[in-house]
Amino acid sequence: MKKLFLIGIKDLKLIFRDRAALIFMLLAPFLLTIGMGFVTGRFSGGSTGLSDIPVVIVNLDKQQLGNALADVFSSKELADLMDPTVSSDPEAARHLIDDDQAAAAVIIPAGFTRSIIPAEGTASNQNFVQPEPVKIEVYANPSRPTSAGVIKAIVDDFLSRVEEERIAGITSITQLMQTGLLNPQNADSEINKLFDNPQQTESTAITLKTNTEGPAAVQFDILAYMAPGMALLFLMYTVSYGGRSILAERSQGTLPRLLVSPTSTSEVLGGKVLGIFLTGVAQVGILILASSVFFGVKWGDKLGLTILILAAVFGATGWGMLITALARAPGQVASIGSALMLIFGILGGSFVNLDQMPGYVRTLSKITPNAWGLDGFTTLALGGTLPNLMQPITALLIMGAILFGVAVVVFNRKGMVQK
Amino acid sequence: MRKIFAIAWKDAIIRFASSSELLFFIILPIVFTFLLAGGTPSGDEDSRIALSVVDEAQTPISQQIITELENSTAVRPELTTHGEAQSEFDDRRAEVVFIIPAGIDIKSLQSGSAQVELLQQPNNINATVAERAVLTAIRRVSSSVSAAQNAVKQRASIQAFASDKEKQAYFQSALELAQKIQKDAPERVSVVTGNTQDQVDYDPRANSSAGQLITWVFIPLFGISALFAYERQQGTLRRLLTTPSNKATFLLGTISGQVAMALVQMLLLVGFGILVMKLNWGREPLALFVILFTSALAAAAFGTTMGTFIKTAGQADGLSVMFGMVFALMGGCWYPIELFPSTIQNIVKILPTTWAMQGMLDLVLRGGGLRDILPEAGVLLVFAVIFFSVGVWRFRYE
Repeated sequence: MKKLFLIGIKDLKLIFRDRAALIFMLLAPFLLTIGMGFVTGRFSGGSTGLSDIPVVIVNLDKQQLGNALADVFSSKELADLMDPTVSSDPEAARHLIDDDQAAAAVIIPAGFTRSIIPAEGTASNQNFVQPEPVKIEVYANPSRPTSAGVIKAIVDDFLSRVEEERIAGITSITQLMQTGLLNPQNADSEINKLFDNPQQTESTAITLKTNTEGPAAVQFDILAYMAPGMALLFLMYTVSYGGRSILAERSQGTLPRLLVSPTSTSEVLGGKVLGIFLTGVAQVGILILASSVFFGVKWGDKLGLTILILAAVFGATGWGMLITALARAPGQVASIGSALMLIFGILGGSFVNLDQMPGYVRTLSKITPNAWGLDGFTTLALGGTLPNLMQPITALLIMGAILFGVAVVVFNRKGMVQK
Repeated sequence: MRKIFAIAWKDAIIRFASSSELLFFIILPIVFTFLLAGGTPSGDEDSRIALSVVDEAQTPISQQIITELENSTAVRPELTTHGEAQSEFDDRRAEVVFIIPAGIDIKSLQSGSAQVELLQQPNNINATVAERAVLTAIRRVSSSVSAAQNAVKQRASIQAFASDKEKQAYFQSALELAQKIQKDAPERVSVVTGNTQDQVDYDPRANSSAGQLITWVFIPLFGISALFAYERQQGTLRRLLTTPSNKATFLLGTISGQVAMALVQMLLLVGFGILVMKLNWGREPLALFVILFTSALAAAAFGTTMGTFIKTAGQADGLSVMFGMVFALMGGCWYPIELFPSTIQNIVKILPTTWAMQGMLDLVLRGGGLRDILPEAGVLLVFAVIFFSVGVWRFRYE
């Protein structure tokens, strides 16, 4: 056991003395993470969340419903979401949208209220003509589709309430008139009463039970995805580099020399694998620590983080061993390792979030330690703890175990570790 | 001239000695181009807030609610199972979950017992927006039933019903009337799309084709530094001193060989873009050649300068890949540069990848011609002159 550790520590020291390897293992992922931080606006305070959506309200109606809609946008409930400004000129408001100064303008035309609620004493008049519907205009900014969509949804919400009150009011009053319980002369005053007192017509058919007792919201840090993404990408380089050293020791003749010493085959192979594993753990550990120290990424549960790093490196080491077992020469391990690093990088979400990838890529990603590792790191960054990490950790351990098993079989068949 | 060709040919033989080089020369670039063309945000995808929906009722009413949600401009319903939704919610991956329990049907609406549930993460703005969208959908589905119920309530407050039968008949009559009113309800909102100029000029296929071409060609060109370091380490550069070949011949042979291989690689990737991705690369062949050639020259010049600073081939390999990837990322080859913060957009103008990318997008995305790419080609030539000058000045055989 001691020999196994000695071989492992020796390999760890060797790789950390190799400046060329350190460029790949630490410098490249660190610089790429910084680059990602810059281009995503993480370092310049850019926010991707919805808040303070600029909206221009033009209320030309200036009556009951128009005023109520204007009030919705400046309500306390939407204070964090909306940043409304009021204008009296529809053309000026449209220009603001065209100049990308706001997400949308809500233009409430004159006569909007009267197109829904007739003035008192007019509906019962024999000459009364139902006015043409007056439409609210949502002038939307096409370069801000999400924000404009939210503004439209708020207008829809308001109108659905108005419509519900209108349907309920007309139904109720028409029914009362038909049964002779309401004098037609009083109909429009009753409708106005219903609009003044909307509780009377509130939806009763389906009630919505809201539950906000879930876990506290956590603002997701984009670097919590990017930093481990890059660390896992270059972890594949590290494990193939380590595998290369096994074949290099064989071709340079140091492996047979090790095997003639009183050291068993399993100790030598185990020591080499331990060296790769320890190097990977050191690499990912340093990069994750750097993301925390230099960029302020919060990883939460330290135990969960440690076990996740160990599992991710275990899974990746399995791939490193399989490549080594299948390759014939150190150069082949380097080529296949580099190719696999890039393929796993793109399939596993290190370059582009997997949610944006086609379904077959998401399915294929399950064979990569990158995808499972990133899944776990994302869970941690969202405030998850060890119990929430069970799925990625288990998957990584199973992946590593299967790949090790296959590698050992191939090693034995090829007689690679023989005295 | 023969010597220059001989040196270039020797480098090509060394590079392609292993068939695995083809992986990096053409196979991986094609795989990356293809995957990223479908995997990077195009700006056309559904940007509405994701709303996990659990439909345990599986009734026409629950389907109507989901249809209303699909029409929402704020939320995008995503059907899932209760267990998965709860797990996503507990892991904070879902901000809001809407559950339509079993038993939500017309009868439950009429009896007033229908209740749906919304799980929201606290203090979450997206969840607040989703709540409004859900309320709108529920109201649209249930407003006629609600109206009939209200009518019954109003009537009962004025005069009590003589029997349940009378009450039921009154409800039915009110429901029919409410449904008619709802059906005849006019549209009360119109959406007009503004004339805001789209800030992001983007086509995922064109961006991926140009961006990956630059990434995969610039890395080996930066790798000229490794060639110099390798020959210096092996002592073959010193041996050249004993031959009647001068420094210029060696440099020209090495660099022209790499640039020629880069042009072949670029043309293969352009061919893939034209044939498979149906991109319009070939519209202005002269302009295309100018931008490809100046891009390759700028990258080769940078590799030459790097080669005069780096001691070992191993370090040069690592730094070539590192600079290649960082320059590609920052130059807008992976993500559209228009999405970067404005300060960063200005800073990255110091990189050759930024100009190469803009030049290629002028051709393949914006439909430009030779005149349009001349500024970018000019800047790339300036890069080439500066870095070649530094490289030749600093070049040493030992």
